[in-house]
Amino acid sequence: MLDGVKAIAKGMATTFKALSEPRDTYPYPEKRREYSPRFRGKHMLARDADGHELCVGCGLCEAVCPAHAIRVVAAEAPSDQPVSWTSRYSVDYEVDLIRCIFCGMCEEACPTNAVRLTPFNELAAYDRETMIADKEELLRPAIRK
Amino acid sequence: MIRLTIDDQEIEVREGTMIADAAARLGIDIPVYCYHEALGPLGACRMCLVGVEKMPKLATACTTAVQDGMVVHTYGEAVDKGRKGVLEFLLINHPLDCPVCDKGGECFLQDYTFQYGPPKGRFKEPKIQKVKDGPINEFVLIDQERCVLCQRCVRFMDEYVGEPQLLLDGRGVETVVTTVDGVPATSQFSGNVIDLCPVGALLSAPYQHKGRPWNIERQESVCTMCPVGCTTLATGRDGHIVRIEGRPVPDRSWGWLCDRGRFGYDYATDPTRLTISFLHANPEAAARTTRQVGHWMSDVMRDAGPDSIAVVMGGLHTVEEAHQVHAFAKNVIGTSRLSISRDVPGYVPRVLNGTYADIADADTILLVGVDPYEAVPVVHLKLRERQKSKRPVKILAVAPRDLSRDSLDVNTLITHAGQEAQVLGWALSQGMGTHPAVKKLAATAPVGVADEDLTALSEALGSSEHLTILWDGLQNEVGSVLAALADARGEKATRILPTWGPSNWRGFERAGFSADFDALTSLLEDARAGKIQMLMTFGADLLREYPDERLVREALQKVPHVVFEGLFRPTEPSLYGAQLPQAGPGEVAGTYVNMEARLLSATPSVTPPGQARPVKSYLTAWAHALNKPFVADDDWDPYGDDTADLLPFDGIQAKVWALKPPNLGNASGMELVTGALVIENGIPSHILEPRAPKFPGRISPQDAEILGIVGQGLVRLGKDGREIRVPVTVDERMTPGRIFVPLGMASCPVNRLGLGAVEVARLEEVPTT
Repeated sequence: MLDGVKAIAKGMATTFKALSEPRDTYPYPEKRREYSPRFRGKHMLARDADGHELCVGCGLCEAVCPAHAIRVVAAEAPSDQPVSWTSRYSVDYEVDLIRCIFCGMCEEACPTNAVRLTPFNELAAYDRETMIADKEELLRPAIRK
Repeated sequence: MIRLTIDDQEIEVREGTMIADAAARLGIDIPVYCYHEALGPLGACRMCLVGVEKMPKLATACTTAVQDGMVVHTYGEAVDKGRKGVLEFLLINHPLDCPVCDKGGECFLQDYTFQYGPPKGRFKEPKIQKVKDGPINEFVLIDQERCVLCQRCVRFMDEYVGEPQLLLDGRGVETVVTTVDGVPATSQFSGNVIDLCPVGALLSAPYQHKGRPWNIERQESVCTMCPVGCTTLATGRDGHIVRIEGRPVPDRSWGWLCDRGRFGYDYATDPTRLTISFLHANPEAAARTTRQVGHWMSDVMRDAGPDSIAVVMGGLHTVEEAHQVHAFAKNVIGTSRLSISRDVPGYVPRVLNGTYADIADADTILLVGVDPYEAVPVVHLKLRERQKSKRPVKILAVAPRDLSRDSLDVNTLITHAGQEAQVLGWALSQGMGTHPAVKKLAATAPVGVADEDLTALSEALGSSEHLTILWDGLQNEVGSVLAALADARGEKATRILPTWGPSNWRGFERAGFSADFDALTSLLEDARAGKIQMLMTFGADLLREYPDERLVREALQKVPHVVFEGLFRPTEPSLYGAQLPQAGPGEVAGTYVNMEARLLSATPSVTPPGQARPVKSYLTAWAHALNKPFVADDDWDPYGDDTADLLPFDGIQAKVWALKPPNLGNASGMELVTGALVIENGIPSHILEPRAPKFPGRISPQDAEILGIVGQGLVRLGKDGREIRVPVTVDERMTPGRIFVPLGMASCPVNRLGLGAVEVARLEEVPTT
């Protein structure tokens, strides 16, 4: 009987010890985890200091993407209405966030440093369609609340 | 033969071969920019450096001819160092703007730099700024900063095409490729420089920023714009064809294309394309119209019998589709009224049909009526290549207009319009008059042609060892003369290349349709006489194509049910009961037959737009409506057993018949001269619009003076109460008293008049465009 009491006491000691230890889980969404600045979350398309898009629609991200998640359609901008810093720009830029494996190769391949992976990782939606991020969405990077 | 060793492999090649070509035959890749086999050696880019034993320095593989016992090394320390140095120099002023360059991913400068180049350039000074995206013409853009000055484009236009519209301007690092005096290049072959350019300097304007090699799909296809049948690569992206490139075929073709074929691909997405159907000129779902046509068909067959249904094949269908239509017409309907839509009456039997090899082998080439530059442009390049080769060749022409050009030396015997057969027949009877076939022609002496010209023609035709003839088919009787000529020349090769459309007419003939012009005429006459209750045209716009527009109009008005299937709405859609959309080239798999009678297979690149579908789906639907089985005979094979990719011989023999003296008309009017113009072949293209002639008619300066036309103007052509208005240009090559109007133009339908003399009057108003 004494053995039984000892065993319970030992077990409870572990429990009480764990109660006072720091927690591994977070009470999401009230409290959120801090990620490394190098965390690879949702993509964004950056602009330069003048507000011109950095993306020129070269399609290298599309070529390098192992999951075929990116689609780029380039076009020539009229000379009086430049979109990017040069005459060529991407008229369509889509990332399928369901297909994406967040490997970051697009970021690495980008010759103009236009596509970047932000730490934003709250990717959930009710249908697949909304999981395809278009250019408008990528140009306004989401911010964590 | 010379034996040499390249990278420890021995090879035997012909004397005069360059090291680069010898290495290519061994499968050894030597990097090169400036060299192209069609253009010959130059040694401008220095990229092809190789080490040759016993030579103190590296040698350029493209300019060094092989020698016996030569030992060549295409890699090694010295070679790599040489190539690295060359690339570093080539990249000194290169802007390195690969992300915005359309060549990115298919660029030899990228590839070779990756393979042989230095990782970094040591040149830190600012790069020289030059013109970016400047126009060569409407279709070709030049980026002078990216140019490596290999001169392929300049040499192609100057030496190969013979239209020196590009040149190198400036000296040293300031050298640029530009057009002469900044005038846009007007050559028909300007688009080829895009394929030739090894870097991103010359780019296609309509393809600008449209795709990357990894998001496009290239399919082997065939150009169907004219009967030449050039092999192409069609680039498809997102369900549209966005580019056409030439596809070289070893030992047969360099892969040149004319601008019509290269840039005319956008007809597939043209807003005027039929993508839904029309029932009595009202828009309707294709399935519904198909069903309605099925009901008509079963009614007509019940009430008037199967022979009251006629089928006319034409347009851009494949041989297989033609075969399906033929099988349907024969086995399901059971009609014998089958024909091919023809715009000229001529016919060449398969047995006399030549190939392009006959142009290369010929010692005499005769053009009858046809201007190759305008009707079959790539054949013009073949003729020019023949004329430039070392063996002498005589290029003669018998035509109602001067066919010589700066780029092609043609000795033209200018006849009256419609007199070609008589002139050729008389020339034959001068030289070979004793032959029974020539006697059968019963040629009479032509008026207005100098005797010495006839004698020269007669001698050339008789003495030639290998005679190749290009014929536009406008005058049926020429067929009789050519048959007699081939017969009289006996063993000596006489080969004919027919240059008329529809581009796949020989394939339709192979599928079982009769190419006989008289068959089509009697079909239309029967229709006019009310013997035909239902006329089905596949791809054929008879009103535009058939030489006598009035007959077609009366026939179409008389037939109760006219069904049209095609890419675009026909001329005067109100005459048609039903119009169905067709899936065109690039959208269906199949084979096409070119003017060599060669079968060329095409792979589809995209799916048909809208409700357009392959012809077989219509046929199957109608067979259901008729409650009859339709087996499309999928194991049918257009190829022959022993003729490789040429069509098998069909047993049709060349016919010779007596010539009638030509009716040259009254002296008061002007003679009407017509001919095919590939740019105006009825297939719309938005990209090519700037190239389409605004004033397609042509008159001589003398006539222009009489009519009071300066440069360009509008004239009215009248004959027997029918008239057309033709915008004309003054052309010094025209003979006085002749007016040229291209065949098949919607704006000035010359088939409303027919051949012969026409009354010409200048219209007061001159169009503003």
